[in-house]
Amino acid sequence: MRTHFSRSAFIEGARDMLPMTVGLIPFGIVCGVGAISVGASPVSALAMSMIIFSGAAQIIATQLLAAGAPFAVVVLSCFVVSLRFLMYSAALAPYLKPVNHRWRNLIAFLLTDQAFASSIRRFRESPDLRGSVSYFVGGGVVLWAAWQIATIAGIVAGAVIPASWQLEFVVPLCFLALLAPLLHERAALIVFVTSAVAAIALDAMPMRLSMICAGMAGIAAGVIADRMSGRGATAESEPGN
Amino acid sequence: MSSPTGCRGAARPRRANLEISQLLIWALIFVVGAINFAARLSFIALFARREMPPLLARALRHVPAAMLTAIVVPAIVFAAPGVLRLDIGNIKLIAALIAGIVAWRWRNTMLTIAVGMVSLWLLQRFVS
Repeated sequence: MRTHFSRSAFIEGARDMLPMTVGLIPFGIVCGVGAISVGASPVSALAMSMIIFSGAAQIIATQLLAAGAPFAVVVLSCFVVSLRFLMYSAALAPYLKPVNHRWRNLIAFLLTDQAFASSIRRFRESPDLRGSVSYFVGGGVVLWAAWQIATIAGIVAGAVIPASWQLEFVVPLCFLALLAPLLHERAALIVFVTSAVAAIALDAMPMRLSMICAGMAGIAAGVIADRMSGRGATAESEPGN
Repeated sequence: MSSPTGCRGAARPRRANLEISQLLIWALIFVVGAINFAARLSFIALFARREMPPLLARALRHVPAAMLTAIVVPAIVFAAPGVLRLDIGNIKLIAALIAGIVAWRWRNTMLTIAVGMVSLWLLQRFVS
């Protein structure tokens, strides 16, 4: 594939990501404030958001630095938090075969919970790969830009948004908006119950390992559910059913 | 990796610690940045030229439901770190249930957010 850009799909992806950015602003601000509080300069605090571009990793890193944890522990914790990206990467991989390496690198750099969740359905259901890639990149770029703006706000102005607004609740709501419609399908319902119970039961695990473990438990339950209903072999060819 | 830097920084007295912290922060940014990018690219690069085993491909169909649940549920059911609240006193749980029903029925992100946030604000105002 020579080019992967479709302007209209890019704009559609960017537009669909806007509600999510509202919820991410408080987290971006927290990352900016947190980095400054552990002694980062404004430039390095912003570089952290520009290069790492992962709220979970940045918040954990600054919390551990503030607690005086050794460098290796901070790095290890950030690595554990990034394990979920392996799953997103694997889930996207089959669709990105015809895409050249520059676009693959760009997609990888912009790969977040939000970008993955909002675009995976389109990759699965749309035959137009160019459109799906552009949609993903459009959302990813908006998210990246919003993340930098929120970080700058945190660096410059501190915690400017009153906690009572609970804006950060928009993030789980956005994920819920993508999750709930999946539950029309029986296998997804089994995945949901398993993953939810595991996430609650394993919450005490260190380094947020509960998230990835609950995810794996849910996936395992889904595979077993497919097997038992005998749909496993055909499930691939009829996504969305 | 640069763990020696960290050890030296930790072993020194406070003032030296502050001087080294800029270097430490930059090292952290690039090391964690590289790890994150590697994790994000991993399987996209690995399966660019080879076939994915069918069992793995089938298992990966469940990634969205499994990971979205693993992210959303803890954000809703824990009132504070480690404090599980599955009763109607947990306003986030109630707001999320209402928003979840709306999302399930109408598949609309903006509507879900609007209903969820308004529910949360109202519950915050009148219940707690």
